[in-house]
Amino acid sequence: MIRAENVSKIFGSDPESALPLLKQGKSKDEIREETGQTVGVNNASFDIEPGEVFAIMGLSGCGKSTLIRCVNRIIDPTAGSIFFKDPEHGEQDITTLNAEQLRILRKRHMSMVFQHFALFPHRTVLSNASYGLEIQGRSNDERELRGQQVLDMVGLGQWGHAYPSELSGGMQQRVGLARALATEAEVLLMDEPFSALDPLIKVDMQQELKKIQRELQRTVLFITHDLDEAMRIGDHIAIMEEGRIVQIGSPEQILVNPRTDYVAKFVEHADPTGVITAGTIALPFESDAFESSGERDGIRYSHHRDHPQIRYGRDRDGRLRGVTIDDREVPMQQLEQVLDAAEGAEVSRLRDEVAITCSEETVLRRVLRGRLHSTLPVIVTTGDGRARGLIDDPELINGILEKRGHTA
Amino acid sequence: MGESLEFLRTLMNDPFGFLDIPVRQIITDIVNWIVANFRDFSRTYISPPVRGVMNSVQWALSSIPPGIFLIGIFLLGWWAASWRIAVFSIVSFALIGFMGVWDQMIITLSLVVTAVFFCILFGLPLGILSSRSDRFYAILRPILDIMQTTPPFVYLVPAVMLFSIGNVPGLIATIVFAMPPVIRLTNLGIRQVNSEFIEAAVAFGSSRRQILWKVQFPLALPTIMAGLNQTIMLSLSMVVIAAIIGAGGLGLEVYAGLERLNIGQAFVGGIGIVLLAMVLDRLTQGLGEKAPGVRHKAD
Repeated sequence: MIRAENVSKIFGSDPESALPLLKQGKSKDEIREETGQTVGVNNASFDIEPGEVFAIMGLSGCGKSTLIRCVNRIIDPTAGSIFFKDPEHGEQDITTLNAEQLRILRKRHMSMVFQHFALFPHRTVLSNASYGLEIQGRSNDERELRGQQVLDMVGLGQWGHAYPSELSGGMQQRVGLARALATEAEVLLMDEPFSALDPLIKVDMQQELKKIQRELQRTVLFITHDLDEAMRIGDHIAIMEEGRIVQIGSPEQILVNPRTDYVAKFVEHADPTGVITAGTIALPFESDAFESSGERDGIRYSHHRDHPQIRYGRDRDGRLRGVTIDDREVPMQQLEQVLDAAEGAEVSRLRDEVAITCSEETVLRRVLRGRLHSTLPVIVTTGDGRARGLIDDPELINGILEKRGHTA
Repeated sequence: MGESLEFLRTLMNDPFGFLDIPVRQIITDIVNWIVANFRDFSRTYISPPVRGVMNSVQWALSSIPPGIFLIGIFLLGWWAASWRIAVFSIVSFALIGFMGVWDQMIITLSLVVTAVFFCILFGLPLGILSSRSDRFYAILRPILDIMQTTPPFVYLVPAVMLFSIGNVPGLIATIVFAMPPVIRLTNLGIRQVNSEFIEAAVAFGSSRRQILWKVQFPLALPTIMAGLNQTIMLSLSMVVIAAIIGAGGLGLEVYAGLERLNIGQAFVGGIGIVLLAMVLDRLTQGLGEKAPGVRHKAD
């Protein structure tokens, strides 16, 4: 949907003079010393798929806000191309658009949410929410209808006639979000939208955004300085340092496999339990920790070296067919059912002997919760139903502490 | 040696003896030239519209029966500001009437309204242009300084020469003197609009014109209203001076009183001007606070 190729932005009196130095791979400080120019963004490239949330994470001053403004050209990049693909016009290079084309892009295809909301104080909430529609030249009735619709969507249906200053910060940003959604632009640019909010409100808003995103499937470019936020919201994350993108990957890839020390330092303080998945930490049945314990009725049994009494039976296709302890059959249950059944109930110190199964994509937090209800390891299955491996205490602890999985 | 010492002594004692800039003559020549060449122009193209507006305003204001006028001013005060100001306004205007200078007040009010009308007509666009172009404002600024600081007495004579005596030259002098605040504060108000609002407007594809009218202008309105308030005050301060060259109203009352050493008459005119000024000030301030940009800003 949006593809950036070697985008650079240099601030100063003679930006071009710094470009050759950027190509040589010189650092921000070196370039400032040699040419007096300030590097905002340094050769950033990324590719955002339609319908995904792409988070750019970095500390203040790393160039992330500059980069997002290059995408709708509130800031003109010094070098590089940004391609935008929309169903009507195919792929076009945003950096080559003239003023008129640029306004059409902003009116119809891209909208933006700002860190400090930037709601117009002289307009009511409804007229703020429908600002983009006004610029599109829609009729009064249409604006009111659609404005009310988006306000309802963000839960502020009753507040249309209030003024922004009468609203709390969280509510104001809901209006900001409504304003951006109203134009039905395919691309939503969000510049640290939740950074100015209280922590609790922030989590609320993140969930709200995820909910809305599930319904609307917009393509979102989300800027944040908070790695946990990036991991909660982003399908992919780009990490920026000093104007450069140092790593792009899924939250889990970044958590499990930080490419540089800088990324590793961030990741160290991140909460892995919502990101690491069962598939990553599971100990595969194929590993040498498992030994065969014979075959019966076409079902092959195996057990973990340290717990020979627990046997896992799989058929020829690799599907889980049964779990026994000392030859006694143990009931099997899916993690979702266990958690649903346990919801609201008090946690008992007495855990059942039940073989819990979960899919590869289940996040660590849910596996941990499941473990509260059973004494047995959790069995991880793949999308096509094959049993892939086990998660026992060592895997859980490794998952939390080291964030590195076993690779089969 | 002795000769050069002598030269130095003369230089220190009278350094200005060496050069005589004939400014008086130059200015006189310039003014004469302007009067000779633009007299017809100004009397055919500038006087009639100014006089026309003035006469219409005066006709409109004087056709309102004073009793209705008083009720109107009370309601206006209530709507624009508060009931206190409404009471203050009606009492002030009633006092003017009881002092016997109601008709003169109507003339003065017409002069002020006309001057302010032209100040807005030219000042607002100039202020907007200034806010959009640094170069334009750099050129305009010294002109505004000259307009505001040149003592009005200095340009009364050329004004009379161009427009002859009466209300028109008084109005022209008033407009020149009172217009700068509208220009300055329109420029300031628009420039002061927080850049985040501009950025938001740009991000949604607004054109420059849309940004101006949908965002900058409404947000600058409280500042512009403050400029308008100053313009009204400045034009009131000119009414006495304008009376010297034949403008009527309360200013003439003061001027005539002074000429005849009739202190009472002069004071009645003066009090009338002060009351009118205070009412107009409170009303425009009230209006300024009603502007949408200020709304709810307090909390």
